[in-house]
Amino acid sequence: MHLTKKSKVAIIIGILPALFLYILFAIVPIIQSFYYSLMEWNGISDMTFIGFDNFKKLFQEPLFWSSVKNNIYVVIASVLGQIPIALFIALLLNRKLKGVRIFRTIGFLPVVLSTVVISLTWSLIYNSKNGMLNELLRTVGLDGLTQNWLGDTKWTMVAVLITIIWQFIGLYLIIFLAALQNVPEEVLEAAKMDGASEWVTTFKITIPMIWSTIIVAVILCISGSLKTFDLIYVMTNGGPAHSTEVMALYMFNETFSKLNYGYGSAVSVFIFFFSLILIFITTKLLKGKMI
Amino acid sequence: MEAIVKSEKDTRKKKSTNKKKWTKNTIIYLILGIFSLVNVYPIVWMVINSFKSESEFIVNQFGFPKVFVLENFINAWEIANLGVLFKNSIFICVIATGITVFLGALASYFLSRFTFKMNKLIYTFFIFGLLIPIHATLVPMFILMRNLGLLDTPVTLIFPYIAFHLPITIFILTSFMKAFPKDIEESAIMDGCGIFRVFWSIILPMSRPALATVVILNFIYNWNEFSFALVLINDPGLQTLPLGLANFAGQFTTNYGAQMAGLTMSLIPIVVFYLLLEKEIVQGMTAGAVKG
Repeated sequence: MHLTKKSKVAIIIGILPALFLYILFAIVPIIQSFYYSLMEWNGISDMTFIGFDNFKKLFQEPLFWSSVKNNIYVVIASVLGQIPIALFIALLLNRKLKGVRIFRTIGFLPVVLSTVVISLTWSLIYNSKNGMLNELLRTVGLDGLTQNWLGDTKWTMVAVLITIIWQFIGLYLIIFLAALQNVPEEVLEAAKMDGASEWVTTFKITIPMIWSTIIVAVILCISGSLKTFDLIYVMTNGGPAHSTEVMALYMFNETFSKLNYGYGSAVSVFIFFFSLILIFITTKLLKGKMI
Repeated sequence: MEAIVKSEKDTRKKKSTNKKKWTKNTIIYLILGIFSLVNVYPIVWMVINSFKSESEFIVNQFGFPKVFVLENFINAWEIANLGVLFKNSIFICVIATGITVFLGALASYFLSRFTFKMNKLIYTFFIFGLLIPIHATLVPMFILMRNLGLLDTPVTLIFPYIAFHLPITIFILTSFMKAFPKDIEESAIMDGCGIFRVFWSIILPMSRPALATVVILNFIYNWNEFSFALVLINDPGLQTLPLGLANFAGQFTTNYGAQMAGLTMSLIPIVVFYLLLEKEIVQGMTAGAVKG
């Protein structure tokens, strides 16, 4: 549009409020966490500049590395669990079948529910005394398999990972369905005319045609997994014995329970760069486009 | 004669492919059925058991309740203070969503319909927000809010919710508004419409599908948000639904009936919202997710 002096003023009036709130409450905090990470500070007393000492301490801390390891488990379980199942179900739902809508509606439902509600529901399911899972095992006569799912270091991570996988399959299902609907029908018809079997069509035509969407889904899945916090905080609070602690939870406990604001900020900065680097590497490896 | 044989062969072939198709469809439905069951049964299990007394829950976990115990719901409502939690959640959700969408739409209008020097830079700057991990900002956000005197007030959560959802809002709205034909505003301007009038009377109504998407996305995010609420809100009277529920369940670990009743009640609004707006939600999620 033609720019006049008046429109310049209008642009400023129009963009400034959004920009102001965004800078103050999103950009300033992320920059501040860099600053705090160089300080020794309990949040109340004066700050002391200590350079990179927080990071040195962080890298020598076994509990921190175990939280990184657990976070990587979440990433791997999500990518290998959610993406293939979602893709498989999406391929099934993309057929001309009766009642497809109902399956889609049910499939997406968990994504809309709050993580807290999901965590609490699954905690009840995993409950060692009256939980559904143990009750189910007892009913079918597999008493020997009952476990204290959320109290036994051997099983807790598995229990948590299953819940995480369950929660977000629907999201990728919907993304894949949208992509599948954009695959032109003529291409599939042509393959059918040439005598290609359904397997061949799916693997040689359909999947390659939605490959860019699959890459986006993988990237989303990785960055989403690195943000895991609410679910574990509510289900196990990182326990037992730190066996389910992830980076965000480690940061939260260091900062708000132990009041190490500087050290907690160093963990935040690490999370920030770790996410960026991991997303960047995945994008490069899968030859996708960032954002 | 030949013709008869041929047609017989045809029907036989048809029959066998029909049978094959039938078997295949049965398998597909079976898989989809199992998938749906796994998806929805945990929720259904919880809802059904919320109606049982403690003693019935222990002996009959998988059946329907023999007696419907509504006491669980009364207990949960009172112990968890659900009335207050609902009120707080609705208040914060509506205000934060309203402001985010309005300011986001206004900014998107100027970013998509006008060319000026900083245009691209400001847009990229906003979109960068999609990469900021929320948890990396919890500490400074807490300190910032404390310094601003905004800890533990009824409006506290509105600010971070707006700031962190502006990127996706602007992203979706800008790409939608960009697609309008170039000269759409010109005739309006010729008729003497002001720039803001064009925004309000022309651009906003035209953006309705995208607006619906961002309203729904914002609403779901805000309704379910937990981390900021956990860090910034202490006063039980100001807690939102997820935060209040987490505390309630943490304190009443053995009262299964009340816990499940509380969870069931908290599910109702969002499930109704989902079922009513399913089509738009799915579209919105797809747009937001694929692009974001």
